[in-house]
Amino acid sequence: MISIHNIRTVAHYEAKTLRRSWLFRLFSFGALFILSIMNIGIFSPVGDEDWSFLAIPSSLPLFNLYIINIAQALIVIFLASDFLKRDKKLDTNEVLYTRPMSNMEYIFGKSLGILRLFLGVNILILIICLIINIISKQASIDAAAYIEYIFIITIPTLIFSLGFAYILMSIIRNQAITFLLLLGLAALDMFYLYNRMNSFFDYMLFGFPVFKSNITGFSNLDLILAQRIMYTALGLVFIFATILIFKRLPQSRTHRIISSVSLIIFLAITAFTAYYFLDDYYRTQNLKTSITETNRKYESSDFLKVTEADIEIDYSKRSITALATLNCVNNTGRPLSESPFSLNPGLAVRKIDVNGSPASFTGDGHIIIVDLGKALEPDSSLSISFTYEGLVEEAYCYPWHTEDIKKDPFTIGPVRVEKRQAIQKDNFLLLTPETHWYPVAGLNFYPGNPARILIDFTYYTLKVARNNKLVAVSQGVRSSDNDYWYFKNEVPLTGISLIEGNYISDTITVDSTGFIAHYYRGHDYFRKDLNELSDTLGNLISGIMTELETNFSTEYPFNSLSLVEVPVYFHSIERKNTQTRAEVQPSLILLPEKLATINDAGFHGTIKRQKRRMERNNEVITDRELQVRAFNNFVRNTFITSSGFRFNRGNTSMTPGRYLLGPSFYFYKNNFYSDEYPVINAVFETHLQKVETPQRGFQRMLLGGLSENDRANTILKDHSLKEILALNPSTDTTRLILTLKGDYLFNLLRAEAGMEEFNNWFSSYLEKKKFRNVSIDEFNSDLGERFGFDLKSYLDQWYNGKGQPGFLFTDIIVNEIVVGNRTRYKVSFTASNPEKTPGIFNVGFRTGRPGQGGGRGMGGNVSITISASGRGSMSIGMEGRGMQTNDVEKIVKLEANQAKRISVILDAQPRGMFVNTLFSINNPGELQFPLMDLMQGKTDDNTEGEIILDKIPLMEEENEIIVDNEDPGFRIYQETSSGKLKEWLNIRRDNGNDYREMFIWWAPEYWQKTVESIYYGKYVKSAVYTRAGSGERYISWTASIPEPGYYDVYTFIGKRGGQRMMMGRGGEGRNVMQDLHFSVEHDDGSEEMTVNWENAENGWNHLGSYYLSPDTARVIMTNQSEGRTVTGDAVKWVRQNTLK
Amino acid sequence: MKIEIRGLDVIYKNGNHAVKNINLTIAEGMFGLLGPNGAGKSSLMKVLVALMKPSSGEVLVDGENIQKNRKKLRSYLGYLPQDFRFFTRLKTWEFLDYAGSLAGIKNRKQRLSIVDELLDKVGLLEARDRKANKLSGGMKRRLGIAQALIGDPRIIVVDEPTTGLDPDERIRFRNILSDLSQHDVTIILSTHIVGDISSTCQGMALLNMGEMVFSGSPDELVKQAEGHVFNLRLTQEEYDRIKDTYHIISSIPSDIGWDAQVVADDVSGFDSQEIEPNLEHAYVYYMEHKINGTNINVQVK
Repeated sequence: MISIHNIRTVAHYEAKTLRRSWLFRLFSFGALFILSIMNIGIFSPVGDEDWSFLAIPSSLPLFNLYIINIAQALIVIFLASDFLKRDKKLDTNEVLYTRPMSNMEYIFGKSLGILRLFLGVNILILIICLIINIISKQASIDAAAYIEYIFIITIPTLIFSLGFAYILMSIIRNQAITFLLLLGLAALDMFYLYNRMNSFFDYMLFGFPVFKSNITGFSNLDLILAQRIMYTALGLVFIFATILIFKRLPQSRTHRIISSVSLIIFLAITAFTAYYFLDDYYRTQNLKTSITETNRKYESSDFLKVTEADIEIDYSKRSITALATLNCVNNTGRPLSESPFSLNPGLAVRKIDVNGSPASFTGDGHIIIVDLGKALEPDSSLSISFTYEGLVEEAYCYPWHTEDIKKDPFTIGPVRVEKRQAIQKDNFLLLTPETHWYPVAGLNFYPGNPARILIDFTYYTLKVARNNKLVAVSQGVRSSDNDYWYFKNEVPLTGISLIEGNYISDTITVDSTGFIAHYYRGHDYFRKDLNELSDTLGNLISGIMTELETNFSTEYPFNSLSLVEVPVYFHSIERKNTQTRAEVQPSLILLPEKLATINDAGFHGTIKRQKRRMERNNEVITDRELQVRAFNNFVRNTFITSSGFRFNRGNTSMTPGRYLLGPSFYFYKNNFYSDEYPVINAVFETHLQKVETPQRGFQRMLLGGLSENDRANTILKDHSLKEILALNPSTDTTRLILTLKGDYLFNLLRAEAGMEEFNNWFSSYLEKKKFRNVSIDEFNSDLGERFGFDLKSYLDQWYNGKGQPGFLFTDIIVNEIVVGNRTRYKVSFTASNPEKTPGIFNVGFRTGRPGQGGGRGMGGNVSITISASGRGSMSIGMEGRGMQTNDVEKIVKLEANQAKRISVILDAQPRGMFVNTLFSINNPGELQFPLMDLMQGKTDDNTEGEIILDKIPLMEEENEIIVDNEDPGFRIYQETSSGKLKEWLNIRRDNGNDYREMFIWWAPEYWQKTVESIYYGKYVKSAVYTRAGSGERYISWTASIPEPGYYDVYTFIGKRGGQRMMMGRGGEGRNVMQDLHFSVEHDDGSEEMTVNWENAENGWNHLGSYYLSPDTARVIMTNQSEGRTVTGDAVKWVRQNTLK
Repeated sequence: MKIEIRGLDVIYKNGNHAVKNINLTIAEGMFGLLGPNGAGKSSLMKVLVALMKPSSGEVLVDGENIQKNRKKLRSYLGYLPQDFRFFTRLKTWEFLDYAGSLAGIKNRKQRLSIVDELLDKVGLLEARDRKANKLSGGMKRRLGIAQALIGDPRIIVVDEPTTGLDPDERIRFRNILSDLSQHDVTIILSTHIVGDISSTCQGMALLNMGEMVFSGSPDELVKQAEGHVFNLRLTQEEYDRIKDTYHIISSIPSDIGWDAQVVADDVSGFDSQEIEPNLEHAYVYYMEHKINGTNINVQVK
């Protein structure tokens, strides 16, 4: 009926024609070439051997097809519409049209021809990839993925693009318009639609995650299939529609009927799959909303405390059956007759017993209100058993969170990975406490106060039915019999997780703590890569744990630490009430399969690269030493200091890593609570689970924008902490603010109690109160007892108060002093706080002789270490965060409107002083003062400490008038224009009003504000900069002159000492800043002045002396310059004493 | 095969009435369709090869309506459109192979031998592996006829095949066609060049402004012009006077001025000599005299 011969003939010759087109040749050769290079460069032993790819073998074909697919989705547009354009030249094709083939055969043939050709290229690329895959000793081969991805990625995209091109061309019959529409759609997908509605519109899979785990396969196979079948079916609908409206007289009624029926069938499939996909999307959205709303109803309820939990669970045939018996105590202080519990809404409660007798209960969404029978008196306890079954509803987790993959994507290379919070597959189960897979006396989110958290320390026992030969992993001591796995915890936990999979386990016991690795067969690649470590592993771990315990000033509180590999797509969401991520549980860490997304886990590659470098430098190092380094790097960068750096709209931010062990040293061990100050636990946590931020200093030093602290201070400028939290800010912002306020609070405590004293007391206090909920009142009275200090009197202002202190630093001098027979150094400076709010700041010094990097005079305490791995890493002192305060020399407290003369004696010569003004108006809040030029000779005065001054020193002398760029007398003259198109597309034009990091190689075509401590400013050390030009943009400083006379005029130029800001391309290594052009207005007109930036003083630069009458005086600076950038800061008029 | 055209009309969407009520029977052999540009020949051809539906009327091939069974018609049809440009990226033999395969020659070996045979026949064997953009206009046209011939069609429709060809190519082309007409096929040739309708045409029709104004054999057309073609000996002054009103078919300078061949009803008063008309004379005579209804009288003033 359908002539296969005809279809094949058309396909054969159309493919031949297409293959000979230059566009296709360019595409295919280009794609083959580029991808071959990429494959070799990224995956092969001679290349980078990127671990994130090699760890998960399916990512090799995925990477290749992902890249080629985007390219071919565009190319096919050109080729398909070109085809039909040829068909429009009817005479050429009439010789074919008069042949005895049906329209269906013809269009099918054409489509098949195109598909065949593109598939050919895809397969060729996959073959290259496979060869590299085979050569690579690091990656195993996921043969199925090679085929699966062709069907998931390539075919649907091609069929849809083809069909869409056909139908548009058939209807519009204009190639140019068709092109525009199709390219428009492609662009719309790539720039706008790919992340909308779970990537519903993402036909080319630009952002839709199709990552395949080596443990469980695809994370979301049903949605992948729905979306891909939808686009395939829609493509076929278009193709059949094209057949029906094809401009050639049909010859077969049967084929027309087949085409019509197929069109209807595929349209139905499209509709069904679209419905399936969108239903999931909207259901998730609605569920999240309804969970938040239900929580709102119950957030002020009285919850019981769960002291013991005994959970029996059976997961089989994709269903959970469980019995959870909770021992609860009423510590609300009131008798309770009913009590609410949260349970995942996917789990249905069948029966509840209270103290062994059936009890009535009501359900309200995920809330289960248990009737306790007679009222439970305060401090009495009872036992409640829940029998329930079902499957966990994942959308229940993080109900406030809407995934924004544009802002916060989870990617491996360019390929996006879905973030999943629970996994329930035939061969795998992962349930974290976040899912509430057992009843919890509390809510997963308090909408009225997102920073609030309720924590119970509970003794858990778990009994897991043995099914499917899966191995159960959880916290506690594991035992088993033929029917069950048993877990018993001797230490109370904040929650328990359950993982079932085909695990094998290894244990190493170090200092009586068991370290257990649970991994899949074949995933223990580290054994080979780190084979020299087997006998020293214990020592290494011991060293690391000791270091951690010293760092956190507390002991690791659990008997064991389990490291469990789970599918790579398990990814928690940041929470507002804690920095603790679901990847890290008490005594258990959920790591990505084969440690794929952990950079330093590619031991083989790291060692190989390091070895090469060593050989180049003629260094000799043993394999064992290399492996030790690789292992240490991995542990340190993963569990201790990892953080993700993000740069967004001119501001940098650091997100703590997902696997930090910090929570084990505070969050899972201690808890402080307060109804009055619900954020208190989060504040303690941010401060105590110290997060180091490498690179931060580096970023700040080079670019000068707003640090996280500065941003938090800007946010808190006009609001109290309570007000800001009530506005429900983003997770990021919440973390910033809590960190800032936490730092402030602890520095206050240290200032009051003394740094050493407080630290020592507090660490033993934490140990004493571990696994207990401590109210802030209890803490306050204990603190008062020890130090005679009432924290609560500060907390009100801290939480509810508005206003910020502002610090000024003047008269910094350094003297040599001789103490005994040793030369020491004394730094003295005046600090004042002219504002109405008291505050504290801390001070640190960089000492040592100028050596390498000495040119960076303003480097502050930034130390640069280029690690052996070649990645430059920078660290800046923690300035008082965490329990260790090594970097902080002194914490100074200043009352409102107070000034102090402060002296510090140091053992070594200080090169720089750095100040962190913590919670203050100062911007930047981290100030750096070079001390090298401030040596004042010897002094005998060896007193140190603080002296309160009578009055606040003046910033300006009496005969001075200073206008800074933050002052009202400063004005920017610039045209602001905004194109219509930009307006339509809603592209916001930056106007320079927000502080941005200064990008020295590129300046904007408007005056951009930037902050850095090198600039002039009272509190805000800022300047404006713009791209150099011919003087079309200018700024002015205007002041009113009180009395006539001669005035010296100065302009402030802030320079980073010795730092050369290079001009590239033809700039011959010159600074980006060159000549600056000023025009000083005076009584006789105006004077043009040029200041050469390179020769200018770091500070005030004289622009000449002028006679000025009492009127307004003005200085203008234009952007005229031979350099690349011009910067304007402040102008000063100084009246001369004698008339000339 | 016998083709009957009954009451055929083609009206385009823009209202252009391209073909008006045509009734015609075409028997085996070569049939010529002659008419000036825009006479409706191509529209008629397109209906004949089922590329276009007539607005009314029908075309029967051996009694069967082609619109109702296009597949059958297409299976015994060979067609060379007026503006045949072929796919620039295919080689000569590949194009023929493509056409042959679609024409139903499924066996590749057999098809390739037929392809070479045809290429030889149209004198393109040497250009077998050349791509289209390397062929001359005549060669392309020959390739066009070759593709029309592949698969042993019973009906061959050739639309304006000689336009733009040089005389050599034109003769060569005509010879190919007349060769073909010796076999059991119906060849329909549409042209506005009278010379294309050679004596090999058993039948012909004359189209003007969509209407068929003559059908019959070329001889019958010629016969109608008998007694209307003259050779005039004209002085320069006479020549100037009549050249705008007469259809001068050819003129040669002579000792007194010009010797001119004219088609006219009356040439009294001139030094004239009646000559035997050919098809070209007949065409002119027919178009001017019969259709436009002008009386062509040449009179001495």
